[in-house]
Amino acid sequence: MARADISLQGLAWILGSSPRMTAQLDTGEDPTMFQNRAEALALALPAAIFAAAVFLVPVLILLSDGFRTPVGGGWSLSAYTEFFSSPLNQTVFLRTLRLGAIVTVVSAVIGYAAAFAIVSLEPSTKGKITGLVVLPLMISPVARTYAWIVILGRTGIVNQAFQAIGISDAPLRILFSETAIFIGLLQLFLPLMIISLISALENMPRDAIPAARVLGANWFQVFWKVVLPLTREGLVIGGTLVFTGSLTAYITPAILGGSKVLMLETLMYQQVSVSGNFVSASVIAFILIVMSFAANILLKRLATARNRRAPGRSASA
Amino acid sequence: MNARTLFIPLTLFVVIAFLIGPFLIIVAASFSAGETLAFPPQGFSLRWIAKVFTVESFRASFGMSLFLAIGGTAAALIMGIPASYALSRYKLPGAEVIRTVVSAPIIVPGIIVGLALLRYIVVPFGVGISLALFLAHTALVLPYAVRVVSASLDNLRSDIEEAAVLLGSSRLGAFFRVVLPNIRGGILSAFILGFVTSFNQVPVSLFLSGPGVRTLPIDMIAYMEIVFDPSVAALSSLLAFLSIGIVFAAERFLGFSRYV
Repeated sequence: MARADISLQGLAWILGSSPRMTAQLDTGEDPTMFQNRAEALALALPAAIFAAAVFLVPVLILLSDGFRTPVGGGWSLSAYTEFFSSPLNQTVFLRTLRLGAIVTVVSAVIGYAAAFAIVSLEPSTKGKITGLVVLPLMISPVARTYAWIVILGRTGIVNQAFQAIGISDAPLRILFSETAIFIGLLQLFLPLMIISLISALENMPRDAIPAARVLGANWFQVFWKVVLPLTREGLVIGGTLVFTGSLTAYITPAILGGSKVLMLETLMYQQVSVSGNFVSASVIAFILIVMSFAANILLKRLATARNRRAPGRSASA
Repeated sequence: MNARTLFIPLTLFVVIAFLIGPFLIIVAASFSAGETLAFPPQGFSLRWIAKVFTVESFRASFGMSLFLAIGGTAAALIMGIPASYALSRYKLPGAEVIRTVVSAPIIVPGIIVGLALLRYIVVPFGVGISLALFLAHTALVLPYAVRVVSASLDNLRSDIEEAAVLLGSSRLGAFFRVVLPNIRGGILSAFILGFVTSFNQVPVSLFLSGPGVRTLPIDMIAYMEIVFDPSVAALSSLLAFLSIGIVFAAERFLGFSRYV
């Protein structure tokens, strides 16, 4: 339980929802030895200046590129109107959104089933199974994605099986399609959803489900009215991680989508390395960042909206 | 009750097969004796495992990735430990701003960071590719370093340092003799997390890789686009076992998950 809790806090930290992981034990007055501001700044500034110089400033300049007029030094949105007027870009944009949404929803459904199953196990088995779920996170995404070529390729396992059973005569083209990217992304990010939900389920009051059952709720009602509101925080964290992860994945669409089925990141790479179009790359960068933040905010909103309809849940906090 | 007892093992089996199965297939394929990547593997041999060590570009890019992972993480810790100390112990003006700036590289997609570095650091200042990769990987690991070290500092009472100072130790002496030994586990965990993150990183290095200078994962992608033999599978298995081994050892000896 402690393990899952800490990773959840870490995830929350990544999302910026709780800047401090643990409350400081020392609650007394600040000792004089920690009141020297110049000293504190001298300690903190090297890291801050480094991050600003190597990361923040270059990224901000890159993002501002997309708002420049093609000639002269003015500001305009012409790069954005131009970007969205291209049918290819529209397709890629919608595909990225669609895949992100589908992967998130499917991983939530599977995630709940898996998390329920894991939480109901004996403590010792639970640790081992949770370890197996977390294990893929330690393996290089390149290796994890590469495996799907063996499975989904023309002579891969799936096609061998399909032909053996007689579902198809000729090998199906599964690789380099949206389906392949979907499978790859789901496998990549499902562990994040499962560990978020395990932690959320473990923090749920133990008697909430039996109480609802005694009061006559069926399993659907139990899930919808009790479990969902009580685990919404874990769902929001897991959902944001999976959605933003899917939006900004590069390796999976690059290997499983090829050069035909592009997502925003692979499109961005192509724009830069093939056509040298840096303005378009800046537009894509801005869209990716805005979508990531929007997803985070939207999911939080959804969670609080549900919360208002289910006033009983505040007991869990 | 019956449906429930069936539901749990079935769900777990399907989910774990989905998550782990592909990896097992890669491991099996890397022991194949055949010429092309296939499952079930044709025969058994160690030829592809052996081949990994003879491919020149793999050796070069492995060295590069190792250098970036060790050097970048060390650099991130050298800047990150003092910063975490300041954020955790002092009332710092603009602490939230500093915290946000330092942890920002984790939020922005890596490909954007790489492109921004290429255009506004590498090209205008004539920075070499290796140095640019080093800067990028350091920036990438910095948020993890600050987060993990901050967490272990927050769990350490600050009165033991005060006691050391009251008893006549210098401030620096108190830090090195009292604080540092107590957050050793956190620092090592931060190092391992940073190492694995940096080593597996692809998007940040994408635009910063030039001819002859590549990180290992990027080299693997380039190789698999040209050659369809099991050597990438063999290399993937080796790397996976390496990182699982490191994380397992860290969990065993440090209680890694306490910090991460």
